[in-house]
Amino acid sequence: MTMNEAPRFSEERLQEIQALVARYPGPQSALLPVLHMAQEDFGYLSLDVQKYVAEVLGLTLIQVREVVTFYTMFREQPCGKYLMEVCTNASCMLNGADELVRHMCDKLGIKVGETTPDGMFTVTEVECAGACSGAPVVQINNVYHENVDAAYIDAFIEKASKEDAA
Amino acid sequence: MTTLFIDDKEITVEPGTSILEACRRHGIEVPYFCYHPELSVAANCRMCLVEVEGWNKPAASCCTPVSEGMKVRTRTEALKKDREMIMEYLLIHHPLDCPVCDQGGDCKLQDYAVEYGPSKGRYSEPKRAVINYDLGPFVNTCMTRCIHCTRCVRFANEIAGTGDIGVLNRGDHMTIAGIVEEALESELSGNLPDICPVGALLDKPSHDLARPWELSHHSSTCIQCPNGCDIQIESRGEQVMRIRPVEGSPEPFICDRGRYVYDSFRSPARILEPQIRQGDGFGSATWEEAFARTVELLKDKRVGILFSPYWSLEGLMSIRLMRDAVFPDAKVAFDLHRRDMRPFAFEEGFSMTTEQIESADQVVVLGCDLRQRLPLLMLRLRKRSRQGRPVTRIGAMNYRTNMSLSNDALIRPRDWHAVIARAMEQVQQLGKTAAGMDEWMASVDGRHEAGKLLADALMADTCALIVGEEIRSHEDAASLIYGLDLLMRACGHAEEGRDGRNLVPEAMNAQMLSAVFGDVRASAGELFALAQAGELDALVLVGSDPVGDGLFPSAAKAALERVPLVQVGAIEGEISRYAEVKLPAAAYVEIEGTFLNMEGRVRTANKPVKSLGEERPLWKVMMRLAMEMGSEPPVVSLEELREALYAAMPEVRDACNSVECDACLIRVGRNRDARALPRKTAEAFPLDVVSRYSMYREGMWARASELLSEAGRIHALDDVLVHPDTLAELGLKPGPLVVESFLGRHTFDIGVRDDVSPGVIYIAKRGVAGDLSDVTSARLVGCGGDS
Ligand code: SF4
Ligand code: SF4
Ligand code: FES
Repeated sequence: MTMNEAPRFSEERLQEIQALVARYPGPQSALLPVLHMAQEDFGYLSLDVQKYVAEVLGLTLIQVREVVTFYTMFREQPCGKYLMEVCTNASCMLNGADELVRHMCDKLGIKVGETTPDGMFTVTEVECAGACSGAPVVQINNVYHENVDAAYIDAFIEKASKEDAA
Repeated sequence: MTTLFIDDKEITVEPGTSILEACRRHGIEVPYFCYHPELSVAANCRMCLVEVEGWNKPAASCCTPVSEGMKVRTRTEALKKDREMIMEYLLIHHPLDCPVCDQGGDCKLQDYAVEYGPSKGRYSEPKRAVINYDLGPFVNTCMTRCIHCTRCVRFANEIAGTGDIGVLNRGDHMTIAGIVEEALESELSGNLPDICPVGALLDKPSHDLARPWELSHHSSTCIQCPNGCDIQIESRGEQVMRIRPVEGSPEPFICDRGRYVYDSFRSPARILEPQIRQGDGFGSATWEEAFARTVELLKDKRVGILFSPYWSLEGLMSIRLMRDAVFPDAKVAFDLHRRDMRPFAFEEGFSMTTEQIESADQVVVLGCDLRQRLPLLMLRLRKRSRQGRPVTRIGAMNYRTNMSLSNDALIRPRDWHAVIARAMEQVQQLGKTAAGMDEWMASVDGRHEAGKLLADALMADTCALIVGEEIRSHEDAASLIYGLDLLMRACGHAEEGRDGRNLVPEAMNAQMLSAVFGDVRASAGELFALAQAGELDALVLVGSDPVGDGLFPSAAKAALERVPLVQVGAIEGEISRYAEVKLPAAAYVEIEGTFLNMEGRVRTANKPVKSLGEERPLWKVMMRLAMEMGSEPPVVSLEELREALYAAMPEVRDACNSVECDACLIRVGRNRDARALPRKTAEAFPLDVVSRYSMYREGMWARASELLSEAGRIHALDDVLVHPDTLAELGLKPGPLVVESFLGRHTFDIGVRDDVSPGVIYIAKRGVAGDLSDVTSARLVGCGGDS
């Protein structure tokens, strides 16, 4: 999807949404899963995407905005191809999460919350990822990476950059 | 019933009541912010905590229902501590700027801070500041003071139906956000400052003008629509600062028209002293001089009297008494929206209360812009539709409602006969009929499918039929209403206790007007025609503005060009430029009086605001007029006047004397012998004309109010609207077009909208296209064309 086009779900998606809505007493109940779908399809939830979701579910824009702004996992800004979310909560912090974040930022030349100019990597901090036994934990897109250290991250970044160039 | 003990006091309430509501009803003080009796329960402020014996932690009383034998404590040391902690949290980011806050002195946060707050905060970190929003001409925001109780959000969603406010973000970043363009859409927006328990949402027109403790309170009745809400008027000296709803009255909210009309009370358009025409202008006069001129104009003349229905019952009665004493042959008119003067099978007024309409199985609205005309009845229908109950609408325009309608049909006014006949056919097939129905049906040729919706709804056990202005102002209104009456009788909706026939009146006091003036009543159009034909020598207008309002503006102008006008009133309208004499009468907020609303509820106004000038209660002006004209004044005191009123309408005495005044309803008039059959008339022109009623522009008071005019500008539409198909069929394009009617040819800006029924010309801007209100049918032609 190019950014200038009006966002549109595919036919299959629309059917999926229809089936989902039918399972609840009202369309508002389907808002959370539909927002996840929209984020998956469109990358992030721009105001246009939010308007479109409101239209699809027959809600008002504010009803959608309330939910989008409440949950931190919904993004209103575009992010890199690899979203790296470092847990900096107690267990991970004790196991070097802060140093890890610093290392990642230095290596990529960005600050926390920023995306590299080539649109490849975004680094953010998150609260407890619920995987303390593997601290420090980094969630990259939908995959947990446990016991992460600087070397592991370097290798990941190199591999990902190479794959992208190929 | 459930019995429980609150602070050892035995209390009995309905099962399912919340503890908080039980406390409120029995005068037990429990602090709370987010709860509001008219809104859904959010339970997010936690201020309302109470202890329940046997429970191991405090309970939020607003969302905990009572149970049998429950023992509740509202004042313990532990609770005091809890409340202190909650207050500390709520005040963390609060600016603590009570001295410059309009809410100060009337603020829950301030009150509870005094009771539960420490004198010094422990929070010394930076406080947040929040951006303010533009919520339209009536609401000011200071969002840093917001405590996120979400009352405003629930009000917008549940009551106003605009859904224009929401909560963004969470925790420390939480803010209330309005989507600005939509915020103005509500005709109830003035209630937001009342709803907000703190000083975050404030009344804009009175902002920074007065402190709550400087204001004196008066009670009165709003006469801006037939709903007749109880109002509390807050004034400083003689200046009205605010109008608010009255707690505990049948309607907990009031609309923006009734609330913000108050700046007209001191507008330059008020008539505050007697005036006499001098050349092109007016000069002030003494009462003696003004009456002398009046007598000159009226003595031994053929006089027509036109008055507005908005006066108090006492005022209206005095008009009748004056007429009988001085002009016993005079024709009297008061309705500017009625063309057909044959008696209606059911007269103007409601047979049902608004509560009954809210809970009826079916509601059918015929040809009425309820949201503009009766915003609070609309609010009840909105509540109904939120509960999934049906509302059917048939009419010439898809008026905005902010709710979902279960059935909706667009028709032209000339189709009404066919709609009703179609409904009759259907109910007859189901074996329901009434004497006279066959004859009625036989005199109508066509059948219109929209009648099916009507007939379907009539099958319900209880059905509220709300008949609006498109039928009431119809040239054949009496036969349409008779037809509807037959339908209602056939389906059992006309019996005592199940009567669903409601005819939306033009204004207050409809039941009294048909009872007291029924025998002398003429149509306003008839009066103007007589004046034009030289059969009247003078017109007396008591508070009416037929040039600015109603369906006869061009007839009124033509008549006033010919005969002199004596104007008695509280406020000038567009007719004032024709007046020879102006006699000031007190405004509705300046008198003690009795009113009747559309349901027949008696409303009393007993603590008036001080008069601004020399105006006198209408009855005194009328009696003095009688005296000056050489008659014995029929009554000399308010008591005598009331006796005369009670003699004419004994029910009013009963209602006024009963304790439960709200529960007494004055019945609507019925005319069992009003058998009007459809008239076969060929319309002169191919398109029907329907005029818009705008709550911000209709009526002399609203037009004199700058606040309402401002809102009216925001809600403005093109001059005239038609359905796109109507234009397409004629091969015309939107823009300036000629409207041809019996009044001649006039050019207007024509816009298109799907909301208008095809075949209808909808006059959206009465001020501009006002004169078209006189016509019922017209033709559209291109500019410059010769067709
Ligand atoms: S603005 Fe007022 S009513 Fe709305 S959430 Fe804030 S405190 Fe409550
Ligand atoms: S609903 Fe009618 S009576 Fe009530 S405040 Fe509004 S205009 Fe006045
Ligand atoms: S009033 Fe009960 S939680 Fe707010």
